[in-house]
Parts: sequence; C-alpha cells; structure tokens
Amino acid sequence: MRCPIETREQELLLEYCSGTLDRERAAHVREHIGTCRVCGEFTARQAAVWRALEGWDAPAVSPGFDQRLYARIGKEVSWWDLALRPLGVLVERSPRPAGVRVPESAQVDVASPDQVERALDDMEMLREFNGMVRPDTADPKM
Amino acid sequence: MTERVKPVVGVGTAALDYDAELMLRLKQGDCASFGVLLDKYRSPVIHFLYRMVQNQAVAEELAQEVFLRVYRSRSTYEPTARFTTWLFRIATHLALNTLRDSRGEKTREYLDDDGAELPARQISDRRPTIEQHMLHEARLEEIRGAITALPAKQRAAVLMHKYEEMEYSQIARVLNCSESAVKSLLFRAYETLRARLAHMA
Repeated sequence: MRCPIETREQELLLEYCSGTLDRERAAHVREHIGTCRVCGEFTARQAAVWRALEGWDAPAVSPGFDQRLYARIGKEVSWWDLALRPLGVLVERSPRPAGVRVPESAQVDVASPDQVERALDDMEMLREFNGMVRPDTADPKM
Repeated sequence: MTERVKPVVGVGTAALDYDAELMLRLKQGDCASFGVLLDKYRSPVIHFLYRMVQNQAVAEELAQEVFLRVYRSRSTYEPTARFTTWLFRIATHLALNTLRDSRGEKTREYLDDDGAELPARQISDRRPTIEQHMLHEARLEEIRGAITALPAKQRAAVLMHKYEEMEYSQIARVLNCSESAVKSLLFRAYETLRARLAHMA
C-alpha cells in the first residue's frame, strides 16, 4: 500500500488506531506501519492519545436525575393540558356503547388522584393569576 | 489493533428502528417508551455533556433540557434520521451555546466543594496509594486541559468519535457540516491532542 501520510490519507491511520478499519484494511496498514517509520511514529502517538482519553471516566449520574426530569415533565404536561383542554384531566372517560368508535382526539385520559390534585392546584394558581392581572374580568370559576 | 465493541450510541439499523419506534409509540401516547429511551441514553448524553462543559451539575441540567425537548417534540417527531443523531444534535447545540455564553469564565469550577464532581471510583480491594491517586488526578487534569484547549466544535467531534463511536457521516449530521469537514476537524483536533498527550504513553 502507498504511505497514507504521503497520500494525505491520515484518517486511515486514525481509523486504524481507533479500531474501526475492517480486518483486511487493518492488515494492510499494520504491514505498512512495520516498514514506514513516519507512520509508525504517527500511530504510536495517536494510540497514546487514545489510551489517555480512555482513562477519562465521567462521574456517575446523580440519583435524583430521573425524578427531577419527570417532575419538570409533569409540570409542563399539567400546564399544557390546562391550556388545551381545561377540564379534560378531571373528567373520567364514560363507557360507550359497543361498536361506537370515538376519535382519538376526542378521548380523555383517565386521571389518577395525584394528577387531579395537581390539576386543581394549577387551576387555583391560574385563577389567582387571572385575578391579579385582570381583577375586573376574572372568571371566579376559572 | 483489535476491532472495538460498538457502544449504545453508534447504532446499527436494528437499533435505529427500535429507537424510532419508541419515539413513535411515545407520539401515540405510550409514555413508558420515553422511560426506555431515557434509560438507554441518560448516561451517554450526560457523559458527553460532562466532557463538553466539564461540570457535572451543568451537564445534568443541560441533559434535563435535552430530554425535555425530546419529550416536547413527541407530537411532531418524524423518523427522518437516526434517533441518536437527533438526540446528540440537541445535546451538542445546548453544549455549544453554554460554552459560548460562558466564554471567559472558568466552567470547570465546581458548584460545591464536597468532591461530588470527582469521577465515581470502582470499589477495589487494591486501593490506590495517595501517590497513585495524585498521579491519576494529574493525568486526568492534563487530559481535561487538552480537551478544553480544543475549539468547541473540534471538542464535540472528538468526543462523539472517541466515546460515542459515531461514524463520520453521523457526526457530520449532528454538527450540520460535510463529512470531509468532520475529517478535517478530527484531524486537527487529534494533531493538537497528540502534541499535548503523546508523552502519556
């Protein structure tokens, strides 16, 4: 094979060092490195970098990560639900006669007690906010 | 050199279909699918962000934003690219913005002093001596310094190439540039790293 440094194909050597070359090409590069001092030095230095980077572990993820994320999602979902379908989460889906298909968009999820409680809290906050911003027009029910 | 084992991010076609399928299930209201994606990609995303910004608290905050954006986008999601390309595009975008905003600041300062930033250590019967520990820390400091010295895009390219084992084409899509531009970024980045780290052999 022609020298990858002479042909400006150094990425071949990078791929060799990172172990991403297929067996056949890796064998050609290995054979070349055995006879080419410049490529030999290049790969030795790159391999050293590779090993150094392998020694850099990232810290463990903190245990509360998922909890924090789901809390944020829960908050967004409840506000979003309030904006799109104000009473949706409070209404339990009523049984419908057999054979009657209800469009997905018209179906309402069954809410768990904590969802209901959260929705009520959010509505309470909305009502207070509404009262503060526009005291004369605030709907006492909303 | 032996062929390396592919990690979770450098995925094959089967995994691509599975991740996309999970997103499509989430789109249809199956929230459990989001949990599966979170389990699978929580660590890769946080570790990538940690190595980008070199602060665990900031990395986790950014990762929260990444997964929030994934969740928010569920209704408009279309599997036009690999899920991991999309995921890391969001993560890289947030990391680059953070680095840009904190330019001039010392981003690696710990938010607290309780040592929580230090990498989790493996429990071993052969505990390292103080000298070994100090040597290890000095080497890590050198590696972190070398990575920090890279321009942000080169840093992102190296981290995706080295730790996520992404192909050039996927890194190119994440960074929104050509494959040849990625090769050039990586070549320059490794050149810098060889100059700084080759003595660690």
